[in-house]
Amino acid sequence: MFYQTHLRSIALILALGFLAIYASFGSYFAREIVVEITILAILAISLDFCAGFGGMVSLCHGAIMGIAAYVFTIMGVKLGWPSLPSATLGLLAAVLFSGMVGWVTARTSGIFFIMATLAFGQMAYTFFFKSRWLGGDDGMGGISRFDLSWLGLDLNDALVFALLGVGVLFLVYVVASILLRSGFGRVLCGIHSNENRMQAMGVNTAKHKALAMACSGFMAGMAGIIAAQHTLYISPELLIWTVSGEVLLVVILGGIGTLVGPVIGAIILIMMKHELSNYTDYWHMIVGVVLILAVLAGGRGVYGQIEVWLEAFFKPQAPKEPKEPTESKEKEQDLA
Amino acid sequence: MDASFWLLQCLNAMQYSMLLFLLSIGLTVIFGLMHFVNLAHASLYMLGAYFGISVSAMTGQFWLAFMLSPIIVTCIGAVLYFTLIDRMRGAGPMNQVLVTFGLIFVILDLVRLGWGDIALGLEAPAELSHTVSFWGISYPAYRLFIIALGLVVMISMWVVLRRTQIGAMIRASVENADMAASLGINVGRLFFLVFCFGCALAGLAGVAAAPIFSATTTMGITILIPTLIVVVIGGLGSLEGAITGSLIIGFLETFGAVLLPSLSAVLTYMLLAAVLVFRPQGLIPARG
Amino acid sequence: MKSILKNLVVIGGLAVGIHMPAFADTKVGLVLPYTGTYAALGNAITEGFNMAIDEAGRSDEFTIITEDTEAKPPVGLAKARKLVLQDKVDVMVGVVSSGVLGAMRDFVHQAEVPLIVANAGNNLATGENCSPYIVRVSFSNGQINRPMGTWMAENGVKTVYTLAPDYSAGHQMISSFSAAFTAAGGEVLGSEFTPFGQTKDFGPYLANAQASGAEAIFVFYAGGGAINFVKQYGSFDIKTPLYGSGFLTSPLYVAAEGEAAIGVRASLHYIPTLETPENKAFVEAFMARYGTMPSEYSVQGYDAGLALMAAVDQGGTDSQSIAAALPKVSYVGPRGALEIDPATNNIVQNIYVYDTVMENGALTQKLIDTISSVRDDVAGCQM
Repeated sequence: MFYQTHLRSIALILALGFLAIYASFGSYFAREIVVEITILAILAISLDFCAGFGGMVSLCHGAIMGIAAYVFTIMGVKLGWPSLPSATLGLLAAVLFSGMVGWVTARTSGIFFIMATLAFGQMAYTFFFKSRWLGGDDGMGGISRFDLSWLGLDLNDALVFALLGVGVLFLVYVVASILLRSGFGRVLCGIHSNENRMQAMGVNTAKHKALAMACSGFMAGMAGIIAAQHTLYISPELLIWTVSGEVLLVVILGGIGTLVGPVIGAIILIMMKHELSNYTDYWHMIVGVVLILAVLAGGRGVYGQIEVWLEAFFKPQAPKEPKEPTESKEKEQDLA
Repeated sequence: MDASFWLLQCLNAMQYSMLLFLLSIGLTVIFGLMHFVNLAHASLYMLGAYFGISVSAMTGQFWLAFMLSPIIVTCIGAVLYFTLIDRMRGAGPMNQVLVTFGLIFVILDLVRLGWGDIALGLEAPAELSHTVSFWGISYPAYRLFIIALGLVVMISMWVVLRRTQIGAMIRASVENADMAASLGINVGRLFFLVFCFGCALAGLAGVAAAPIFSATTTMGITILIPTLIVVVIGGLGSLEGAITGSLIIGFLETFGAVLLPSLSAVLTYMLLAAVLVFRPQGLIPARG
Repeated sequence: MKSILKNLVVIGGLAVGIHMPAFADTKVGLVLPYTGTYAALGNAITEGFNMAIDEAGRSDEFTIITEDTEAKPPVGLAKARKLVLQDKVDVMVGVVSSGVLGAMRDFVHQAEVPLIVANAGNNLATGENCSPYIVRVSFSNGQINRPMGTWMAENGVKTVYTLAPDYSAGHQMISSFSAAFTAAGGEVLGSEFTPFGQTKDFGPYLANAQASGAEAIFVFYAGGGAINFVKQYGSFDIKTPLYGSGFLTSPLYVAAEGEAAIGVRASLHYIPTLETPENKAFVEAFMARYGTMPSEYSVQGYDAGLALMAAVDQGGTDSQSIAAALPKVSYVGPRGALEIDPATNNIVQNIYVYDTVMENGALTQKLIDTISSVRDDVAGCQM
């Protein structure tokens, strides 16, 4: 079950505040990094939504993002549509694709679900890779950013774009947390902890799983639209399974099933990658060691671990918060 | 395209299937027994190839490399078992994914540091570097050797699992580890032995594949997906599943390349999706 | 702790080759892959480039900043933006994969900072999508294969079967070859594109090629794929002779291919065994410096350095003047006489047809024929 605790709100505000300050006062490249982080963080929230709360560990979130980016670009560049309808259609395509995947794979679970989503993701990747009309592996350029001049915003300014990204990240978080606290979110968590029981109670679990994937697809689609707007160029690389793998790493690293943890995971991974690659070509190794250490240190992810520590620390002073410990226990069950 | 053409392609398919089998059997048995998805299995395959190349370069002896490389990889596997894998058994699949992914990154860069970024090759041994002619075709002797190697491993695994006491112990532990432990089976030691054996097979697959494929730093991550597909299509944890899965993928990829070249990039994924949609536990799962 | 950090910074500085000059006139950004599949190529190009600058004794004049593209288009673009907008480089050198070049193209064009392409061979980059700010000193995919098509048809090969990986470069290489080969009277009996990055076993394709009854097999493979292909071709003992784009038996990979590479005939813009004084001096210096034979990739990096210095000598002081001077560059280098075609900004160079042979127990390249000054058509390029 998901609770928007004070600790989570504080962590989210701190994380978003850090990104905003880093973008505002940092160099040009800091803004690039902030956008990169927001894209990954949105994807991570989207994956945590279905993996951490619905038990659907998807390996096709890169593909979902890529489909939104491609449809957005096809409409805008190839067919000359204005950007807002193109983006809407891109989001719709992402929602349809992920809902379809969720529905078709509803009977699978665990590694079988992971591999089934991988298969659908790779099929989408191959489709774009082989389509000559869409530039094949060379990709497509010619994208332009949204015209927000009526709001007095120039998105071609790196700072404005980075801050807008942080804003979208916040919105996606709010949407995810509202959905999870709704009746639908509770049913989803119920399916995660005991699917048979939910079925016995008369819940159509396949439908709920497909819906959860569709919602998740909507969020991943947002990441896709930002990614296309950010680089002004798209290629099948967006859809390849290693992108989805990286998202999964970020979710686990930050703390699966905490919603804010993945945001922190994204910040850690991207910052670490860029800082390390300044010094060595062998930064993969250091990232790998960090991943291993993160698990050995407790296995709840960076934020998940901090949450547990802080709660243990505050427990004597505030005995009136019994729900947190039960929740972390439930989380462990989720993982098992 | 006459009969000999199809015979040739069948041999190609067999050869590819056997390599997939050597890799996937270790992965699937480790999973079946320990419920541990060891994504770093493919990195051990890469290490097998690189150590094989080094030993062969140092001694000039292919067969020595062929024997030694799996042993070295097994030792590395044993170290990993005691430092990481054993602790991670109860940590849940998500933590296992994170740790073994971390291992993939670490091993990747260690290989780059040790052997460089340039792809390396290994010559087939002189006694197997010719072609053999039979039934109107001529076929590389080394590829026939791979087929034979795969079949030997396959049959001996079947005999060990079905006809020996240790096989019975492994099967019992796959079925229910707690019950097996309470019947006096030292499950911890069994896990260790099986894990080492899986590593040895991964190393063997690596050194056996090196004369056909080159050794590159990305070979581990590229073979990971086909191996997982084989394991999942066959059904996790069963020998029969690994055999079926590797034969299906080997033949599908080979004949897909011959008959439906434009689709061959996605055929495997289409099959994977189809199998999982209709049989969510794979074709031959270990437990009913 | 602080001292460790300090050491790290020093090591890092050395690793990426930041020079601390007394006065630096020109800021150069190297955008190359240093991790991932193409790391070996990125390193070879960097070696060549650094050698050119050092050899001329002008390392004080250039500040070099390296950035890793990971051979991923979005990363490459982000790094290019960083170099231009934050580090304010005057000129960029690099790009191995065409995908990264495609991603960077519009940005480079709009930012008006010249990019010296040291590998990526996409025809369109100096064709339809050409830009006054993109100058290529490596090759175009068509440039290497067109001459080979004509040459093979003129030298008695009547029918071929072609194979290449299924991605843009593979299609460009094969289509330019096939067009030239058929125009010169040859016939392509069959053609197949193998799944990119997945195909390890070429057995099925080799059987197809043999069954086609063609007189020769012409292929394009590079890197690990080239090693796999040549070794497997050798192991099947196929009688149909193997021809290819010269990357197939590049000096970088030929040792790993072993005896299977003997007799493979290919075309390339550089081989290290050219008997010219310029090349002999270059190979000697390269061997002394790095202890290995140079490959075409090292030469591309080296010529990128020479072209840049020549542009600076012709009055290039900032982005605009360097971009203006680059197309006027011409000199005789290790590859022979080079010039930049101002109509496309692609290099004009010799293409060498060579055999891989065994000499004194080592595989080496034997020059068969030289096709001089190969120039690409102005295919839709408007500066």
